[in-house]
Amino acid sequence: MPNLLRACLFLVCLSGLTTPPPARADDYLDELTARSRELRLHERREWQRLLHYISNLARPGVHSLADAPGFFLARNGKTNPRAELEATLASFFSTAEETGDSQNPQCRFIARYAWLKRELAFDPSRLPPQPCKRFNAWRESLNPQGVTLVFPAAFLNNPSSMYGHTLLRIDARDQDERTRLLAYAVNYSASTSETNGITFAINGLIGTYPGTFSMMPYYLKVREYNDLENRDIWEYELDLKPEEIDRLLMHIWELGPVWFDYYFFDENCSYYLLEVLEVARPGLDLSGRFRWWAIPTDTVRAVVEEQGLLKDAVYRPSNATLILHRLGLMSASERALVSDLSRGRVSTEAPLFAALPPVDQARVLEVSYDYLNYLRADGRSPVGEPAVLARELMLARSRLGVDADDAPVPVPDVRPDQGHGTARIAVGAGRRDGTDFVELRARPSYHELMDPESGYVRGAQIEFFDFALRYYGSGEGLRLEEFKPVDIVSISPRNDFFETLSWNVDAGWARTRIESGAEPLVFEVNGGAGLARNVPDALHSSTLIYAFLETTARVDERIGRGFALGAGPSIGMIADLTPRWRADLHARGQRFFAGDTDTAWEAGLRQRYTLNTNNALRLDLSRECQEKQFWNTVLISLHHYF
Amino acid sequence: MKKVLVAIALSALPAVAFADNVGTCGWGSKLLDGQKGVAPQVLAVTTNGTFGNQTFGISSGTSGCTQDGTVTSTWKTSMFIDGNKERLARDIATGGGETLDSLAHLMGIRAEHRAQFNRAAQQNLTRIFPSGDTPTEQVVVALKDVLSSDQILSQYAASI
Repeated sequence: MPNLLRACLFLVCLSGLTTPPPARADDYLDELTARSRELRLHERREWQRLLHYISNLARPGVHSLADAPGFFLARNGKTNPRAELEATLASFFSTAEETGDSQNPQCRFIARYAWLKRELAFDPSRLPPQPCKRFNAWRESLNPQGVTLVFPAAFLNNPSSMYGHTLLRIDARDQDERTRLLAYAVNYSASTSETNGITFAINGLIGTYPGTFSMMPYYLKVREYNDLENRDIWEYELDLKPEEIDRLLMHIWELGPVWFDYYFFDENCSYYLLEVLEVARPGLDLSGRFRWWAIPTDTVRAVVEEQGLLKDAVYRPSNATLILHRLGLMSASERALVSDLSRGRVSTEAPLFAALPPVDQARVLEVSYDYLNYLRADGRSPVGEPAVLARELMLARSRLGVDADDAPVPVPDVRPDQGHGTARIAVGAGRRDGTDFVELRARPSYHELMDPESGYVRGAQIEFFDFALRYYGSGEGLRLEEFKPVDIVSISPRNDFFETLSWNVDAGWARTRIESGAEPLVFEVNGGAGLARNVPDALHSSTLIYAFLETTARVDERIGRGFALGAGPSIGMIADLTPRWRADLHARGQRFFAGDTDTAWEAGLRQRYTLNTNNALRLDLSRECQEKQFWNTVLISLHHYF
Repeated sequence: MKKVLVAIALSALPAVAFADNVGTCGWGSKLLDGQKGVAPQVLAVTTNGTFGNQTFGISSGTSGCTQDGTVTSTWKTSMFIDGNKERLARDIATGGGETLDSLAHLMGIRAEHRAQFNRAAQQNLTRIFPSGDTPTEQVVVALKDVLSSDQILSQYAASI
């Protein structure tokens, strides 16, 4: 027995001393491969997530969402998890040294390496670990302690970001809430230099841009969203364990040079961040339900709802939000000073300004400066050299030596993830033109002006694929009342500081009365621009009036000449009578001057009463006129959000 | 309404040889002015899809200051200043704030010296930002001067 032990020790020493011949590596690879087959590692969730495999739609089997060939080591790796796993194992035996241009596979695919090493208990003497200096330097400079899911809220005026966006932030060990700007952001987005918003949106819909992961200091993102686009940011600090953060970082490292085809609605920023979180914590199942439709707020909601995943939420108001808040705290004369100072119309020497107490001067100067920068970011510099004016304002401010003691922007009571669900279904009953009906209405996304507003951007309506079915009591029976693939309204109140334009665009099929009295389903595109204002006080009031000039185009063989072109005004008033009760009084006229001519108008009152987050009551009354025929409609309905 | 295109393709080089290296680092402060329209703003900071030999897509303008997605230590302070000038000027003028705290942290200024740092910066705002569009390298040099001429803060002058 002792002899045998000695012999074994001798062998061990020998194997440590001599360089194993190449055949030994092959032997070990065979061993590992056999073991991985035995354990069926390629079927494990960890492997499936690391390679971003999803089930095929029609055929059995899977395919990976990654579209960069370099992400796969096996030729058929995109569709064959086992081949990919075995090719990955083989690649780990590479002795290629890391250079500025390339990495050893162990480092390039370091998350796969870490997982396989654990599952198969790699023997370091038979599969020597590589130093992975670049990865380690990267990890060290990130110095990770936490991960935060960042949600810049909607930015309605840009079609590509109207749902909001999500990104990850890697929080370093030596940072706190005061120095979070120094963290790094990991962003997944469509990679393009396209500057035309429309082209960008269309290409995004059909997936022609490669989606890539990028990394940058978080302050660049804060500047972009808070200061340039005036979007409020919500930061959701996640409660991840150190080993989960490690897995997440290793996987992000793998994804750095990879691209995926980018689709706005499903394979978008939010979808891939969920996949990355699933790699961090393989027990999570977040992405599955967003396979076809990933709205950023819904993905945030999924993360927040996961037991024990949310640690804290931080609100970072945009520059415009801050300006509005502080203007609201000012007297009218202070506001007038802000308006004049920021446009260079009066100087900081002006008697009217100098007469203010220092604290008020400080407030006026700060808001003037912020407002000037708002104008600059919007491309509307009020003076020839705005930077010089900005500097003057700050020099004057620096000489005051007091603090403006304004209260900070209040954190909204309801976070974006706490608002109503984005899908809606409604049942209702009513009477139209003397005929009773029952109605079923549904839409998969996202928010309508009359929906409960908490958690959403005020005045922003984005609806996709809204449709209504009605069953009429007399003769008509069941019919599709309307179907709108897209319906967007942006009502943004103007005041002396924010000269914003409101606009709307929708397209779809609606019942249209023709001369014979029949009501075919006619395709119609409608769009307009207008102005809105809070009344009576432009800064404080919750009542809003609006006026639009709209144009309509109808195309249908059943209407006279097959088409109709019209234009006309629409006006309205939206009032929050109580926080739960909203009313919208509106009127709209269209003069159809080409094709099938007609003067059509409509006036009505819509009301909503919020029962709770996900339920609301609606009462809609209207009077319409088409082809010189008049009728009234009344509809009461219950809306449920999910 | 004059459209000023401030393409300060600068920037931010630690001391020496500014002129030689202009354009090698810095995201070209195209933040304000001349960025009319929505799409250019949105896209100002998106990746340009050029990977080169780096692991991550490079943010337009940050090429040259980063390696594998993180900012190389030589550039950290100047790149931060470059990307935050308006906020930094504001914080200095008002005597403190998140941006100034972050800069102090980058420069390794200890907690007990923060108040002194904020005060010194506030009193020297004209020196730190001597003109409207002060190039980043000038801000860096001026900040260094301000620190050097302060008894307590001079120990940090080398860290910028």
